[in-house]
Amino acid sequence: MGVEYKVNRLRATGNIRPLVDKHWGDLRAAKERGEKVAWASGPSFMFPYSMGMKCHFMAGYASYAGGIGAADELLRLAETTGDLPETCSYHRLHMGLVEAIKKGVPIKEQAILPLPDLLIAGRYCTEQSHYSESFYRRMGLRIAPLELPFVFNKEDRPRIREFVYRQIVENVIPNLEDVCEKPFDYDRLSEILSVLKKTATLRNECWKFLATKPATWTLWDYAVSMAPVIYMMGDPAGIPFYEDLLKELKERHEKGIPALAPEGEKYRIYWDGWIPWAFLGKFMRKFTPHGAVCLCGRYPWEMFPHPELIDPEHPLDTVVDWVYGEETGLACHMAPKGSIEMIGELIEEYSIDGLVMFSSKSCRMWNQSHLDQIDALDKKYGIPGVVIEADMIDPEMVQDSQIDTRLQALFETIDGRRRR
Amino acid sequence: MEEIMKGFVKYTSDPYSAIEEWKEKNQKKVIGIFPMWLPEEIAHAAGMLPVVMWRSNEAITWGYAHVPPYNCPMNKSVVDDAVKGKLKFMDGMVFLRECLQSQEVPFIIENNMPPAFEEYLYMPPIYHASNADLEFTRGELERLRKSLGEFGGEEITDEKLNESIRIYNKNRSLLRRLYDIRRKKPGIMPARDILKVVWSSMLMLKEDHNKLLEALISRLENNGYEPVKGKKVFLSGCLCIHPQVELLDMIEDLGMIPVDDDIYVGYRYFANDAEITDDPIGALTERHFIKTPVDPARGEVEVNWGKELVDKVKRLNADGIVTLMTKYCPPHLCYYPDVKTVLADAGIPEVLVEIEHEIISYEGVKTRLQSFKEMLGGV
Ligand code: SF4
Ligand code: SF4
Repeated sequence: MGVEYKVNRLRATGNIRPLVDKHWGDLRAAKERGEKVAWASGPSFMFPYSMGMKCHFMAGYASYAGGIGAADELLRLAETTGDLPETCSYHRLHMGLVEAIKKGVPIKEQAILPLPDLLIAGRYCTEQSHYSESFYRRMGLRIAPLELPFVFNKEDRPRIREFVYRQIVENVIPNLEDVCEKPFDYDRLSEILSVLKKTATLRNECWKFLATKPATWTLWDYAVSMAPVIYMMGDPAGIPFYEDLLKELKERHEKGIPALAPEGEKYRIYWDGWIPWAFLGKFMRKFTPHGAVCLCGRYPWEMFPHPELIDPEHPLDTVVDWVYGEETGLACHMAPKGSIEMIGELIEEYSIDGLVMFSSKSCRMWNQSHLDQIDALDKKYGIPGVVIEADMIDPEMVQDSQIDTRLQALFETIDGRRRR
Repeated sequence: MEEIMKGFVKYTSDPYSAIEEWKEKNQKKVIGIFPMWLPEEIAHAAGMLPVVMWRSNEAITWGYAHVPPYNCPMNKSVVDDAVKGKLKFMDGMVFLRECLQSQEVPFIIENNMPPAFEEYLYMPPIYHASNADLEFTRGELERLRKSLGEFGGEEITDEKLNESIRIYNKNRSLLRRLYDIRRKKPGIMPARDILKVVWSSMLMLKEDHNKLLEALISRLENNGYEPVKGKKVFLSGCLCIHPQVELLDMIEDLGMIPVDDDIYVGYRYFANDAEITDDPIGALTERHFIKTPVDPARGEVEVNWGKELVDKVKRLNADGIVTLMTKYCPPHLCYYPDVKTVLADAGIPEVLVEIEHEIISYEGVKTRLQSFKEMLGGV
């Protein structure tokens, strides 16, 4: 008789929804309250926050829209203005949003946002700037560009750090000062970072329970809890949220309650790429019956993985070093070469059995190198991997049979290697 | 005429053998340059042959063990060629951050077929050309000058660089003259031949190409011209790769004459010169920040591709636009709806044709183009 696996749901993660709803609700109401609004892509939203602006974050909004079930209608709306399905779904989602705002098309009320006073075109992914450019063309919105390259060779990091720092000081901050008609508030940025430091420290404590054997919670639980360490940064509500989560995880662990009932997981999986926001339930149902849990990934580990390095006394350096610092080197990990090292560390720390590379058909951020990464990691760590093709929010790009077959193949390969 | 064309076609019909043969004969290094923004002049000044990497004419096979099918043909093709060992004649390769996909190619190349020399340039988008952008770009180009100089064993001086810029400027001005002739005498050369002339410029030594071009232009200027009947169309897009010649034939066979373009293996490649100054790296940096022809990959807001196309079509008195979109090319994908809207508002007919590595169904494309031609009306 095979084991019947079941997810032990966490109580604490249920508290995130009201926090996230409030965050986006505040943004929706900002203009009525006379507050300035920014839209930002890439890791740049902390700058408008420092000026007391409300700020949208491209990927955060996409995950929110996916989570509240608004993605599909926005994507279809974008089709009506000529977007082709191969275009990044986050881009299409935002084009749908602009169309809804412009023409007053009725969509889910929670998904509507006020138009910004400033767009910060963080060009972490090149498409992130293309979406700002489209807004400019369609609505004439003001843009502050910020080039944020991935670091292909580690030795390039220092000069790119300097370039990014200069752009912030010379382009982003002056634009914010101009829009808000006041000097940049470095003290507020320090406060935001102090709150973030506490939140991320608690979050790191929680991460330890992903490393336990069996795992105490899963990557999906963490994914829905990420907002306080990313686009909600600086909001003190994130601290009690993570305290409560940590308490529950400790209790579970003491009582021997694993993430998967009855006795914990059979396969511990690394997940590469974005989180499939609109299909979390679907993906959970694909892993759970096999006794597989996803535990870590490059993207969810982007969110200030080293809170000890957050230095509120040096706010700008902290922000730049988050991505381009010597120790954190996020921009190195986003590039394929540096990713091998980072994924390797995660494999060891979380005792990973197999890799699932989530290849979004409409987002070319990571997918080109997946096969070579699997190959390199298998050679180094003896861990097999598969690529599954889908999308974060577009249901038209998710085909069950392909995903099921590849996951089945992965589990069989792991079994085969265990028998050796 | 045929004789002159042979000189160009030698390179476009089999670039691999032609370049290898040149290398053998001249005992010089060959440097593969990833499209679309890197200044080949620097490699030329190092005494090497810079060749712009291209889409092969062979089906992708081994490449699919490395790259997913929904990535753009430029990347798929370069990876496929590399892992098949077809690019071994390249002593070096220079890559860049231009779009999401281009920035991952060198990892796969390094993993499977590392060239003796490799450089990666972080070329920024152009936007407002701030001091930070300009100085950073300059630093990137200086870095390439230094590393290529070291690889070649000789410093690339300002004089050498200026001499290369001069030769490249000459090539560009000759190609622009060729395009001028075509604008005035539509159909004077089949579109496939024009494409081969431009493409070969990316593959062969510029000095040799200049000689052939001068001969070609002189013939075209002096030979008689029989006006060709047909609807005048402008070809737009096709970033990084050359379109299939069969497609160009099809456009013409259906009664449309390409009179101009902004495709990469076309006007986009030779549109902008670099100035000759006592600071050639500065001049190459300045050129990177020129805003026209609008390049959707380059991050630009102050000029508008749609409006640029409307102006061009009006000036040429063209009947419509054939958009050639390199399949799975995000910069073009993201911009296209806005171009389409501007063209529609201006009442300019437009049709979209996607350019994959291999066009699977010419019949499907033909039907599309046929209806477009019908829309444009009779000859
Ligand atoms: S292409 Fe990918 S990384 Fe870039 S904006 Fe779209 S979803 Fe984000
Ligand atoms: S064709 Fe487009 S996606 Fe491909 S390398 Fe060129 S710009 Fe990038």
